[in-house]
Amino acid sequence: MQETLLHVSNVYKTYGKSAVPSLDGIDFTVEKGEIVGIFGPNGAGKTTLISILCSILNPTLGSVKYYLDGEKTPREIRSKLGFVPQDFSFFPELTAKQNLSYFGSLYNLQKAELEQKIDDLLQKVGLFHVKNQKVSTFSGGMKRRLNLIISLLHNPSILFLDEPTVGVDVQSKIAIMNLLQELNHQGTTIIYTSHHLKEAEEFCNQIVLIDHGKIIASETLTNLLKKHAVNNLEELILKLTGTLLRD
Amino acid sequence: MRKLKASIWKELLLVLHDKVGLLLMYLMPLLLVFIITIVQNSAFQIVNENKLTVLISNQDRGSLGDSLVKALVHSGSFEIRKNDHLSESAVKRITIDEDAMLGIYIPSNFSERLASNADNISKLMLEQMGVIEKAPKVTPEKQEIAIYFDPIVQENFRISVINGIQAITNGIENEEMVGKLFQEMGYDSIPQNIRQAIINRETKLKIANASLNEVAELIPNSSQHNVPAWSIFAMFFMVISLGGNIVKERLSGSFLRLQTIPRGFALTLISKFLVYLFVALSQLLLLFLMGIYIFPHIGLPQLAMPNAFLPFLVVTLLSAVSAISYAVLVGTYAKTQEQANGFGAISIIIFAAIGGIWVPNFVMPDYMQAIGNISPLKWCLEGYYTLFLKNGAWSELIGTITFLFLFTVICQLLIFIKLRIQNYI
Repeated sequence: MQETLLHVSNVYKTYGKSAVPSLDGIDFTVEKGEIVGIFGPNGAGKTTLISILCSILNPTLGSVKYYLDGEKTPREIRSKLGFVPQDFSFFPELTAKQNLSYFGSLYNLQKAELEQKIDDLLQKVGLFHVKNQKVSTFSGGMKRRLNLIISLLHNPSILFLDEPTVGVDVQSKIAIMNLLQELNHQGTTIIYTSHHLKEAEEFCNQIVLIDHGKIIASETLTNLLKKHAVNNLEELILKLTGTLLRD
Repeated sequence: MRKLKASIWKELLLVLHDKVGLLLMYLMPLLLVFIITIVQNSAFQIVNENKLTVLISNQDRGSLGDSLVKALVHSGSFEIRKNDHLSESAVKRITIDEDAMLGIYIPSNFSERLASNADNISKLMLEQMGVIEKAPKVTPEKQEIAIYFDPIVQENFRISVINGIQAITNGIENEEMVGKLFQEMGYDSIPQNIRQAIINRETKLKIANASLNEVAELIPNSSQHNVPAWSIFAMFFMVISLGGNIVKERLSGSFLRLQTIPRGFALTLISKFLVYLFVALSQLLLLFLMGIYIFPHIGLPQLAMPNAFLPFLVVTLLSAVSAISYAVLVGTYAKTQEQANGFGAISIIIFAAIGGIWVPNFVMPDYMQAIGNISPLKWCLEGYYTLFLKNGAWSELIGTITFLFLFTVICQLLIFIKLRIQNYI
């Protein structure tokens, strides 16, 4: 029996006086424990959608409802939400441990619990041995892994990832994807965007395809491939969105 | 509380890692206060304590030229280098070579003309008093003493030197005139009791500083002027560190992450505010301690702290809060770190200039003084001058306190509007 976690209803978003909406009537539902991939060309509205789901932006119209201990708005469930931005959102001047301690404390984690959690996560992504090094000395892959685990300190029920594996080596990618799989097995719902379509095919069980601010497909990957008679996600995206450059 | 402590600790670490910011916030003001106080103190000493070197060529055939030179020596303000072989053009030419600040050329007919004029005036006075029937009609001749300044001597120095020399020549002229009067009345010279009365006639000037507090007087000097002024400048210059820091965090994406953490953003702003309040107060403490304990050891006047401690504390806190609010405002509205640093630095320099940090407000034209009223630095400075120079207290600080409070409120309001539009709070 599937249980609804998130319902997005008729969401519109326009920026300033722009006549063209970034999101144009988005409707979809996410069930607990799903891994949802949001795909589309550059400028399609993926980051705007994730920003609204995370309470960073407010929709111009429409509603976003979470069903965690009752019906909640994105703002009301922020303590159960994890967000991994595409940019490195930490302080390079500080060490990995100082960064993790700071963000963990903002989630009100107690000292002993936080320290244990920091050590566990650093071990899992292979950064334990450099925990006292300044992050500015880290490689791109190490920074990407740190960027991820900062969002996991408070055991979020739902995790949003905006391009979590962009610009990393294959080893870092495997470490990140393994950790995400593990989290999902433990019950964390994951919503993510990526341009690594092969990785997404293996990872996601639901696909939401956006173009020009509208959902043009939303189903399981298997159903979508069958329905549109294509072999993989890349072919599906090209078939539904065309080859025209968007930016 | 634990969240706030962690947030404050993070801000402190970031400040400590910002080496350039630390240099700008602590070392730059130390150097500024140190250098400017020394320079102003030296300028003060040149005018008031040191002797100005004067090259004099006295060509006077009479005795009054010598009287003038003696009076200049007696004044104690000049170091006289006499060379009577120099022509006027030579004095003009070699004043600079001789390393003198000015050259004086006394013409050969100085005594003759001065005596002639004194004679004429005394006769006119006697005619007026009916002692003689008719004074001969003579056009007064103007005696001319040529003064040549080294071009580097500034206008205010020139004026004070000219006034000094003019006072001496006036004294000589007066004495000569009184002497002629007595001669006309049949005396050989001015009677001793009259001469003594003339010498004692000088109006004594009681010179003291105006003070709002009769109990204790603070002595205005370069330290009392510069330490508070440049401390304010240093506080407001934190816009480079704090404004830049805010833009950097916003652009790096950490603000985005904070938006998804309950109260994360508000805590960050509060902790930034508290840490930079500590920075501002520590800047002031450092500069004041330098004024109190180091200045006297290097020949500068010791900084005397105001007696009104509570008003001093309030003005200090309000100044610091205004500086922080302005820095956060710049950081909130700037689109890039370069924009925050550039605009922040230039705006503070302009505020300092129109606010009287470099040149006192009262020497500015009226419209500039009016414009200066928009500068928070002007009001901070006015508050500190009321405390450090005029020994004032609450009633004299109403303007400062009101302006700084309103300035802070307006900055905070603009910050709130921007952050609300951007959905940060």
